[in-house]
Amino acid sequence: MSQVLVKAAGVGKAYPKAYLSGDRLRALARLLVGRRDADAQYVVKDIDLCVRRGESIAVIGQNGAGKSTLLKLITGVLTPTSGQVEVSGSVGALLELGAGFHPEYSGRDNVEMAAALHGLSHDELAARMQQIIEFADIGAYIDEPVKHYSSGMVVRLGFAIIASLKPDLLITDEVLAVGDESFQKKCIRWMEEYLKEGGTLLLVTHSMYHAQKLCRHALWLDHGALMQFGDVFEVSQAYLAWHERKQAASEQRAPDRSGIEFEITDLVVNDCPGNQAVVIDFGGKLVMSSRIRSREGRLPIAMFGIVRADGTPVYGVSTEMDEVGVQRLSDHDFRVEIEFAGLSLLPGSYQVRIHTMDTEGLRLFDTLERGLTVRGESREFGLVRLPHRWNQSSGDHGG
Amino acid sequence: MNKLALATHFIRRELKERYRGSFTGFGWALLQPLLQLAIYAFVFVQIFKARVPGAGAPGYVPFLVVAMWPWIAFSEAIFRSTTAIQDNAALIGKVALPRALLVLAPCAASFFLHGVGFLAILTVLSISGHGIEMIKVPLALLLYVPMFAYAFGICLTLAALQVFVRDLVQIIGQLLTLMMFAAPIFYDRTNLPERFQVLLDLNPFTFYVEGMRNLLLGYGEFPWHGLLIAILVAGLTLAFGLWLFRRLDPHFEDFL
Repeated sequence: MSQVLVKAAGVGKAYPKAYLSGDRLRALARLLVGRRDADAQYVVKDIDLCVRRGESIAVIGQNGAGKSTLLKLITGVLTPTSGQVEVSGSVGALLELGAGFHPEYSGRDNVEMAAALHGLSHDELAARMQQIIEFADIGAYIDEPVKHYSSGMVVRLGFAIIASLKPDLLITDEVLAVGDESFQKKCIRWMEEYLKEGGTLLLVTHSMYHAQKLCRHALWLDHGALMQFGDVFEVSQAYLAWHERKQAASEQRAPDRSGIEFEITDLVVNDCPGNQAVVIDFGGKLVMSSRIRSREGRLPIAMFGIVRADGTPVYGVSTEMDEVGVQRLSDHDFRVEIEFAGLSLLPGSYQVRIHTMDTEGLRLFDTLERGLTVRGESREFGLVRLPHRWNQSSGDHGG
Repeated sequence: MNKLALATHFIRRELKERYRGSFTGFGWALLQPLLQLAIYAFVFVQIFKARVPGAGAPGYVPFLVVAMWPWIAFSEAIFRSTTAIQDNAALIGKVALPRALLVLAPCAASFFLHGVGFLAILTVLSISGHGIEMIKVPLALLLYVPMFAYAFGICLTLAALQVFVRDLVQIIGQLLTLMMFAAPIFYDRTNLPERFQVLLDLNPFTFYVEGMRNLLLGYGEFPWHGLLIAILVAGLTLAFGLWLFRRLDPHFEDFL
C-alpha cells in the first residue's frame, strides 16, 4: 500500500456564534478556560478520510455542504473542532479565488510571497519565475497590482504557482470554473500529467465532467456529513440522481387514484418486486412486467416508459403502438411484460414507468414508477449509447 | 530554516509596505522621529526651559534622544502589531502558515527601522559634540534584546486578543501615551517629588531609559537591580504571549 498523505478521523468543524461583541468576549473567556462552545454550529461533522499517494478524489455536494471547510481543515487553515487531521508531505492548495494574494502587490510580489509560504528559497524561486509567468500567461499584468486583475487572471497566476511547485498533494477548490476554456484545458492537461506522475489530487467541483475526467474516487458531502464515498462514477451518478429527484419532487403532485377504471396493481422490474430501486449493469437486460386490473373488464392499453431521474423522457412505447395485446388472466386481470435486451441507457439514475390507458388510448388512468440505476463506467455524454461507428479514411476499418 | 526564510520575507514585506508609495521611501523612517524630536525639543527647551538636573548633566536634546528612540521602536511595535492578525484576515483564511510570524513582522520591522534611525542620530550627535559615548553603543544595543522580547510578548498577547475584542486597539493608543509619560523619558527621576519616584520602578520601561542614559551619556547610575527584573519581566511576558497566542491561534479564523 502506498504512503498515506492525509488521515482524517472523526473530523468536525463548528463555527461559534459571533454576531455581538458580547458573544466574542464570552467566546474568548471560554477558550481561555478551555471549555467547549455548547451552541456552536457544525458545518462539517464526523468525516473519516484517508488519502493515499497517487489517489484522486473529487469532493462533490451542493452549496454549503461543507466541501471548502473540509479542504481548509486538511490544508491546516482551519483547526478541527473535533477529531484529528494528519497530513504528511507538501500540500499545495488553491482555496477559492486568489489564494492569499495581496491585492495591492504586483503579481510578481505575490508569487514571491506564495513561494516563501511554500518554503521555496530565493534562488529556487528565481529559477522557476520564468516558468510560472509563462504558465500563467497574463503578459505584462504580472507587474501590475493584483487588484487590477480579472478573476480569471488571479486563478491563472494561482494555478501557475502551484503547477511549478508540484506538491505531493494538490488541493483545488472550484478553480477550474473560473478560467476560460483554453486555460481550463491547460489545467486539466497539467493535472492529468501530474496524476500520471504519481501526484495526489483533492478537487472540489460542481462539474461532474471534471470529476469523472480527473478523479478515480468521489466524496459526496451533504450538510457537513459524508453521504457516500467510492468510485467516482457511482458517487457522481448517485449525486446527480439525488439532485434530479430533489428537483422533481418539488414539481410533482400526488396522483389521484380514487375509483379508477384501470388500475395498475403491480410492477415487477427484473424479478424485483416491491418499490426499491433496481440496479442493472450497463448493457444488461431490463424486464418489466405489470398487472392491470380493469373494473369493467375492458382491455387496457399499457405503456412503458423510461425517464431520467429529473423527468426527462428517454423512451416510451405502448402496446397499442406496437400492436400487441395485453394478456388476459381472468375477467378483470391483465398482465403485460416488456423486455429490453442489451439496454443502451448510459450509466446513471432513471425511473421506469408504466401507464394504463383505456381501450381507445384516449385517457390515462394510472401510473406506477420505480427507480432504476444503471451501473458502469462510461464517459459518453447524454442518455443512451447510439449505435455508431467511426469511419476511417479508407472506409474499411469500421466497427 | 524554513520559518526563518519566511520570517525574513514577512519582515521585508512589512518594511516595503510601510514606505511604498511615499516619495521619500525609507527616508520617512528617519524624518518622522526627527520631526517629532524637533517638536519636543522646541517645546521643552524653548518654552518650558527644561534642564537636565545635576552637575555636568548632558544637554536636553541628547537626554531626550537616547530615551525617545527606544521608546518609539517599542511603542510603534506594539501599536502596529495589535492589528496584525486582523489585518491579515484574508491570508489567514486561505493559507496555512505560522501566524505568529504575522505578528513578528511589524514588531521586528519597527525595531529594525528605529534601531537604524537611533544609530544614525547617535552618530550625528556624537559628531556634533554632544558627548555620546559611542564605544558603549554595542552595550546599549544589547539592552534591545530584552526590550524586544518584552515587546514581542506584548504584541502576541494584544494581536491575539484584538481578534476577539476589537476595541483593544483604541485603548492601546491611550495606554501607550500613559506609559510614555509614566517613564522618565521627558524628565529625570530626580525631577519627581520623592514619594512618586518609587512609582517609576513599576513601569518596566523605566529600566531601559535609565540604562540607555547611563551607557550612552554616562548620566546617572546603571540600574543593576533593574536588569534582572527587566530580563525576568521580558521572559515572563514573552512566555505568556506565546502561551496565549498558541491557545487562541486555532480559533482566529472563526472570529475574523
